[in-house]
Amino acid sequence: MKKVEEIRKDFSVLNQADAKQSVVYFDSACMSLKPDCVIDAIDEYYRKYPACAGRSAHKNSSIVTKKVKEARKNVADFINAKSENEILFTRNTTEGINLLANSFDFKKGDVVLLSDKEHNSNLIPWLYLRDKIGIEVRICESKEDNTFDLDKFSELVKGVKLVSIVHTSNLDGVTNPVKEIIKIAHKAGALVCLDASQSAAHEEIDVRDLDVDFLSFSGHKVFGPTGTGIFYGKLNLLEKLNAFIVGGDTVEFSTYDSYKFLPVPDRFEAGLQDYAGIIGLIEALKYAKKEIGFKYIKQHELELNTYISEELAKYPEIKIIGPKDSALRGSIVNFYIENTDMHKFANMLDGMANIAIRAGQHCVHSWFNAKKIRNSARISFSIFNTKEEAELLVENIKKIMQII
Amino acid sequence: MPCLIALIVFGIMGIFSASHRALAKEALSCVFRRVTFRPCNSNFKDKIKDKILSKLINRSVLLTKIVNKHYELLSWIFFILMAGSMVWVLRGGYNFYVYGSCNGLNSSGFCAFDPSGENNKITAPDASSATCGVVQNTESNLTLEHTDLSIFPSIKTDSENTVVFIGCYACDYSRKAYPEIKKLVKNKNANYIFAHFPVKGKTEFLSEIGYVVRKDYGDQKFWELNDYLFTADVSYVTDQNNINSILTNLNIDAQKVQKDLIKLKAKEAVQKEISELTKTGIFGTPTVFINSKAYVGPKPFRVYRSAINKFIFF
Repeated sequence: MKKVEEIRKDFSVLNQADAKQSVVYFDSACMSLKPDCVIDAIDEYYRKYPACAGRSAHKNSSIVTKKVKEARKNVADFINAKSENEILFTRNTTEGINLLANSFDFKKGDVVLLSDKEHNSNLIPWLYLRDKIGIEVRICESKEDNTFDLDKFSELVKGVKLVSIVHTSNLDGVTNPVKEIIKIAHKAGALVCLDASQSAAHEEIDVRDLDVDFLSFSGHKVFGPTGTGIFYGKLNLLEKLNAFIVGGDTVEFSTYDSYKFLPVPDRFEAGLQDYAGIIGLIEALKYAKKEIGFKYIKQHELELNTYISEELAKYPEIKIIGPKDSALRGSIVNFYIENTDMHKFANMLDGMANIAIRAGQHCVHSWFNAKKIRNSARISFSIFNTKEEAELLVENIKKIMQII
Repeated sequence: MPCLIALIVFGIMGIFSASHRALAKEALSCVFRRVTFRPCNSNFKDKIKDKILSKLINRSVLLTKIVNKHYELLSWIFFILMAGSMVWVLRGGYNFYVYGSCNGLNSSGFCAFDPSGENNKITAPDASSATCGVVQNTESNLTLEHTDLSIFPSIKTDSENTVVFIGCYACDYSRKAYPEIKKLVKNKNANYIFAHFPVKGKTEFLSEIGYVVRKDYGDQKFWELNDYLFTADVSYVTDQNNINSILTNLNIDAQKVQKDLIKLKAKEAVQKEISELTKTGIFGTPTVFINSKAYVGPKPFRVYRSAINKFIFF
């Protein structure tokens, strides 16, 4: 197992010659930093074999075709999918969920059930569909401590066609009991789509064990390149989906008045793909799962979360979103102070010690509006964050607390 | 208010730096929204405030606390100071253009645009000279009201503008001002009166020679001599031994002039001239009266021109 000091060496951005440029990065919930292996893979594609996959017959094209196939296999392995054909390359989680919302055969009156902590990427597509074709969007409220309310869910899931729910919340880091959720949903005859955007980088996902029907996540949160995403679907379900974006490379043939779609997954991957990104993503997933390992990731994050949570808890005015137990909040400490614009913390930490955190409503506006909370400051960590960095963060937060 | 200050400050800094240009743009959008009675939507004010606080907090938490608490008030104070200093700078710029000094007409205080004070330098009367007794004065007391200007050489035109140049042939600053005055009189076709006020060294003899030349040869010859005395090498023209050759070169009969010095009572005439000039309150040369307004020191041409122009620039 690599130690954090060794891990940090994998990230050029953390080892800049000019110390002033080096960032203390606590914004991994927004986007993770990229290890050099990912950057090198992208660089290699553009420098050594820049070509299209699956179209031309020349050597470079063959290399790219092979790499994309390998990437699909790697992603399938990463989430333990039955077949690589169940893996679709997208731009990000949002695109994956939009694909499902627009391709699934929804009819007026069909019910989609969401949690009350959904990122806009798993809320707006459904609200839009509600306005467009008249589906019903149901919200399952969380418990007082912001953890998932299975009892309430069991009630609400009746008559639902699809449950689309976040796996790990980017709001508070809470991981929902998705295995139970899926079991209950299936029992009620509903399909389940998981927004695994936040969870993919922090815990092992086994789609077969979970028995999840659809799952979407972004590459940029799993050490991968921006503009890459994965949409998983059980093969039989994918085959039933309507086409979403159609055009180049989605059909076997076309005439002036007819066409025949390619089988899954190609029919969903219209146009030239982000090959550099896909090739970079292979390295990112290998890095997370094989080189670092989720056991270490979870343990490391718990240590940091516990330390930061305990320090912040010393201030009664600071309210941490989510359960008290830091073990339940994964890699996120999201806090706010009543009647305070939490951008102050983000702006000042950046100015004081080049510490990057995020302030705002974190694309979960619905939750903040419902709770009438202005905004929050979110600290989210990853494998490369050290205890020293956490101490520096806390020390600077304490300074800010003295002036507000 | 902080947005307005930021707009001005970053606007200026943006001329040199692209990153500040972006901030200036953000500030402009903020100011625009505020003047159209809409809230600023970019958190710009807070961003700038937090930037300042984050720099301060590592130096003094107490100071940061005060700035954080009274930020709006401090912004107003800085704005008023900035507005005041801007008015001051503009006033200084105006004064410099119109009077040659940031501090106003004939003021010799420090001026950033003229740090060495060249535009206000004068040659004060030499205590050891014959002009001893001229009392140090201030420009506010300078006036032509009690002075009989008819005894001095003059060029009369139909102009409503009159330039009175009181200078000294031996003085550097008078010599510096001379070409500007000459240009002004020519450009503006102004009435012109010249008076030699010998404040440096023993140069009264030049006044006497000038007086006699004017009487013997008329104004035209006097102006030729005057032009020569202001433009030729100062040590040469102020050496009494050279006067005959100077006159000869100008086709003036030096013998006759020397004889007429006594005959025409030049000494008395010059004494009268000095006595008249003293009534102006003069305390140094060059002193130029343009339409009765006094300009002390060698001003740039634009200053003299502005004094005659109706609307400063034209």
